[in-house]
Amino acid sequence: MENRTIDRPYWNPYVAGAALGLVLLAALVVTGRGLGASGAASRMGISAIDSVAPDHVTGNKYMARAKAEGRHPLDNWFVLMALGVVLGGFVAAYSAGRLRKEIVRGPRVSDRARMLLALGGGVLMGLGARLSLGCTSGQALTGGALLSVGSWIFMMAVFGGGYAAALLVRREWL
Amino acid sequence: MMFPFDFFAPAQREVGLVVALLVGVGFGFVLERAGFGTARTLTGQFYLHDMTVFKVMFSAIVVAMLGLVVLGGLGMVNVPSVLQTAASGTFVWPMLVGGLILGVGFIVSGYCPGTSLVASATGKLDGMMTFAGVILGSVIYGELYPYLATFAHSGAMGQRFLDQVTGIPRPLLAMAVALAAMGMFFGAEKVERIFRPRRGLPAEGDPAPRWGLWRRLVFAGMAGFAVLSAATLAMPGSPSSADASQGPRIAKGKAHQVATARWLARRMVDRPWSLRLIDVRPERTCKRKTIPGAECVPISKLKGLNLDVGPGVRDLVLFGQGDLARFPRVALTYKGRVLMLKGGYASWVAYALEAPPAPGHRATPADWAEYRFRAAFHQSMTGRKTAPAVKARKYVPRRKKKKRGGCS
Repeated sequence: MENRTIDRPYWNPYVAGAALGLVLLAALVVTGRGLGASGAASRMGISAIDSVAPDHVTGNKYMARAKAEGRHPLDNWFVLMALGVVLGGFVAAYSAGRLRKEIVRGPRVSDRARMLLALGGGVLMGLGARLSLGCTSGQALTGGALLSVGSWIFMMAVFGGGYAAALLVRREWL
Repeated sequence: MMFPFDFFAPAQREVGLVVALLVGVGFGFVLERAGFGTARTLTGQFYLHDMTVFKVMFSAIVVAMLGLVVLGGLGMVNVPSVLQTAASGTFVWPMLVGGLILGVGFIVSGYCPGTSLVASATGKLDGMMTFAGVILGSVIYGELYPYLATFAHSGAMGQRFLDQVTGIPRPLLAMAVALAAMGMFFGAEKVERIFRPRRGLPAEGDPAPRWGLWRRLVFAGMAGFAVLSAATLAMPGSPSSADASQGPRIAKGKAHQVATARWLARRMVDRPWSLRLIDVRPERTCKRKTIPGAECVPISKLKGLNLDVGPGVRDLVLFGQGDLARFPRVALTYKGRVLMLKGGYASWVAYALEAPPAPGHRATPADWAEYRFRAAFHQSMTGRKTAPAVKARKYVPRRKKKKRGGCS
């Protein structure tokens, strides 16, 4: 928490939210597609496997879809968007003086444990996102704004799962 | 209805990818500025002392939701088309379970997939680890998919929207959601004031005072647009998501038009971006040789193109080898103009791939212009040159020179 006072302060959450909403609206209106992040991760994984064992990818019904139409798995809308996210995040952090190598963790957990938990949490999110056809960006945010039924179920479930598990991993953060 | 643009079509793919990159830059920039580049902000949501996640997320949902309804009401956006392309289908059980798993992963890793990317970009090693985990998890899901496929498709409802389920018109529902969200923002601020002291933080840390005016502005804007959203109900042809779920429909009295090879060639030169060519001959024949830019889609596979999706700003031209004996009805679900190439591919070959006959001595300037266009077109299609276009000259009888005798 101490670091926060040194950095240039973040935007007011409502202003940031409104800006995010405008980005989402622009994406929807101009392209007919929303935001997304986990799809890119999936394609990166598939492309990594594809470079070592292309037959394995073709043989798997789920992964083969990323190669449909003969394109490279990374030749995709959401992969480009993920690249943009990295770029935009970098520029924002650099211009606010927040660019630094760091492991964010609570005071009661070691760096090693934190890194392992990050990996484990990431794996869970990868599984969850694929199962529900999107993550917090694609389902909760985009689908939420479109008033999609499944997206709102997903959103409630994310908060439910998060609050329940927060009690168990308190040591990691507080 | 000018939006959305038809980025799904193959011809616009590259432009679409650039747009995706730009959208991503905006997305990443705002996420970082919201404080989502660090797990500190993100996990605060689950320990109740920092409700930024909730505030940002719901402000964004409210703004995009209201914006879409209002723009749709003004007739600038084809809302059913956006809903159809941007929303995923609803699968109740996998989305419930997937959400729970993702929620657990969220608090354990401290990020969600998108924010872990932003965190990685700002130098957070745990963010990079998280994103690596997301990749790994996705791959594990792919490997396990044969066993999960049945569950992953359980509780399927198709594309389903809350206004259909509740029966409340979308503009009114959007207003209700916006107002409820604003009420919850005040609640969230109250929760922060209770929990911040318990975590050893000053009760009024965030938002900084200089943001006070901004906060009020955003709230006023949301309230204003919520009212405006409800007002679109009074407008004729207000958008409803019901249209999106009814599946492809053919507009009343819609029939295909007929295009000639000459028209097609002119069009390919003048406005190539406003054409979509579909070769319905057997795939092998089409793959061997077809009109440049045409997609190979046999009639049986036309349905898979989802021609009804999108605004239909381009002219759809279908062709077979000759005239199509029966024009496929599916093609008429396309929202724009639908044409059949008269004489099919054969007439195209005759027009574009065979050298045009040079106009005779009686040719009018219009004939010459036509010849010049066709010769140039033929050349660009085949790489072969035809006889140079001679400039049409008016016939002027030459006066005989008077002989002046001798050798000159």
